[in-house]
Amino acid sequence: MPPLLQAAGLTKHYGSTIALEDATFDVHEGVTGLLGPNGAGKSTAIKLFLGLIRPTAGSAEVLGTKPYETVEGRTRLGYMPEHECLPSSVTASEFLMHMAQVSGLPPAHARTRTADILRHVGLDEERYRSIGEYSTGMRQRVKLAQALVHDPVLVLLDEPTAGLDPGGREEMLDLINRTGHSFGISIMLSTHLMGDIERTADRVVVLEDGRVAQEGPVSQFTKATTTLLVEVDDQHDEVTRLLLANGVTTTRQGQVLVIMDAGDAELDAVRDALAETGARLRRLAPHRGTLTDIFRDGPRGV
Amino acid sequence: MDPVASDLPVTSSPQGEVFDLGYQRYDGPREGRSRARKAIYWDGVKLVLGIGRGPKAKILPLLLFISTMFPAVVFVIILSFVGEGENFLPGPADYNGIISFLLILFGAIMAPELFTPDRKDRVLDLYLVRPITSTDYALARVAAFMSIVLVLVYSGQIVLQVGLILTAVEPWEYIKENWEDTPRFMAAGFLMAMFITVIPMAVATFMTRRAYASAFVIGLFMVGTFVVNGLTSESCDAEARSEGGRIKLEAVDCEPVTGDAAKYIALLSLIDTSLAVNYLVFDKEDDDPSPAMLASRELHDAIPIGAYGLYTLIPLAVIWWQYRRTRI
Repeated sequence: MPPLLQAAGLTKHYGSTIALEDATFDVHEGVTGLLGPNGAGKSTAIKLFLGLIRPTAGSAEVLGTKPYETVEGRTRLGYMPEHECLPSSVTASEFLMHMAQVSGLPPAHARTRTADILRHVGLDEERYRSIGEYSTGMRQRVKLAQALVHDPVLVLLDEPTAGLDPGGREEMLDLINRTGHSFGISIMLSTHLMGDIERTADRVVVLEDGRVAQEGPVSQFTKATTTLLVEVDDQHDEVTRLLLANGVTTTRQGQVLVIMDAGDAELDAVRDALAETGARLRRLAPHRGTLTDIFRDGPRGV
Repeated sequence: MDPVASDLPVTSSPQGEVFDLGYQRYDGPREGRSRARKAIYWDGVKLVLGIGRGPKAKILPLLLFISTMFPAVVFVIILSFVGEGENFLPGPADYNGIISFLLILFGAIMAPELFTPDRKDRVLDLYLVRPITSTDYALARVAAFMSIVLVLVYSGQIVLQVGLILTAVEPWEYIKENWEDTPRFMAAGFLMAMFITVIPMAVATFMTRRAYASAFVIGLFMVGTFVVNGLTSESCDAEARSEGGRIKLEAVDCEPVTGDAAKYIALLSLIDTSLAVNYLVFDKEDDDPSPAMLASRELHDAIPIGAYGLYTLIPLAVIWWQYRRTRI
């Protein structure tokens, strides 16, 4: 399958400011996270893929077309912006029907799609209320609905959980998961929240200072490591002393003893130290990586 | 026992089942850019006429529609009493001038509605990521407003034409003698509608609040016309004459207060320039011209036409440029 979205040496400079530099990555079917802190170049990348700006160098391709050369590729592309972008005086139903037509759907089909998509985002009961009366969570769902109403192949979501309370965030992440994994609509999710990526994405592209720092499946970043975590309720110092005496590199982080590069010999040493001291074991588990580690440890390549 | 429940039919087996089909992919037609343009056009028309919105949104367009028709209806009623041949009533050439104030008011109030809310609420960002260009969006909105202004301009003229024909002693003779009025009012109406549309819409591209745009447009038309007519008005010397033993003062050697420059200053009045072009289309002269129109008669016909061209093409270019440089 050819990639849905392809950046090849994609570069964008604003005068002397480098927004994006030689970025090369692909987005395939499924949910791909575009992760990076503010100013990393995420919004610039989205604008380039939407064809709203031209690259300084390199190329961006969306669904096989160069978006800054033709607008036709946008018929199968959806976009949910981070900022407020909804009219307040019309109902969600009217607004979505109009947006479906602006995406090229005939009026009768636009009406059916509107009803379907409002049901999927959980707003079918509220469809005849003015958007101005909606809560932040509901408005966010309308924003997602307008990006999906024309049944795109790929949808670009820009910080979709921004401004939501924990409940609203859960609902939005659930919707994104369903859209990407059940509806069959691929997603590129731009966010600075690693939790959002861990919850929804299959792959991640990490941007830092306008460059691709890392790229790969999310599972690769969150798989089990060789670091062993030993959490005991008491005897911390005694257990640590015995481990060190047996040549096991051990550091203490609060209640947890951290053992790097743990193999069978280190596990035997832990067993013996616990037996000898009589320390009460609460948890013994390998450390699983998180996306936070990417930024803590710096780029390492995958 | 619940009386309602007891009335319900009792069934031994389920009568139907509800299935959730889940998400259905869309495999219907996709009409691309042409559908997008049509959607924006019709949305613009509905927005101006208040269709699909509360009763309040319909009051202003309805009032303005009635007001632009009203003079035509009154003239036809008078004609039906006094009959053909009475020349004191305004004709098709004068009609656009009579309703010009209403049209400007309509343009100033309603035209910004098509641009400013989309900019203010940032809905424009959602349009520009769909299969249209910013020029498609702007032109569809301009076309929507111009269509409504055309309906306003033409409807009064049509009522007047029908009235003139029906009240004529020989209707068929009247049509044969005055057939040119129809293409003329169509052409003049088109030019007037263009003018009423593009200037307020160009102003609206700079504003995010409709009220500011409306106030600016009203100021531009009204204050401009007032000042220009002041500058082009005539001052005269007074000459004393004795008449039947009484001394009377008579105005002589009248000339505009700004002298020779008056004829060019007159072009700065947007309303008077558009009306000057209107009378050129009808190949007639206004019987009761404003000072600015009187002054501009000194000029070759091509000059007011050129000025009108600038007053419509420049705002169109401004609209195009403003949307071309729009970034989300």
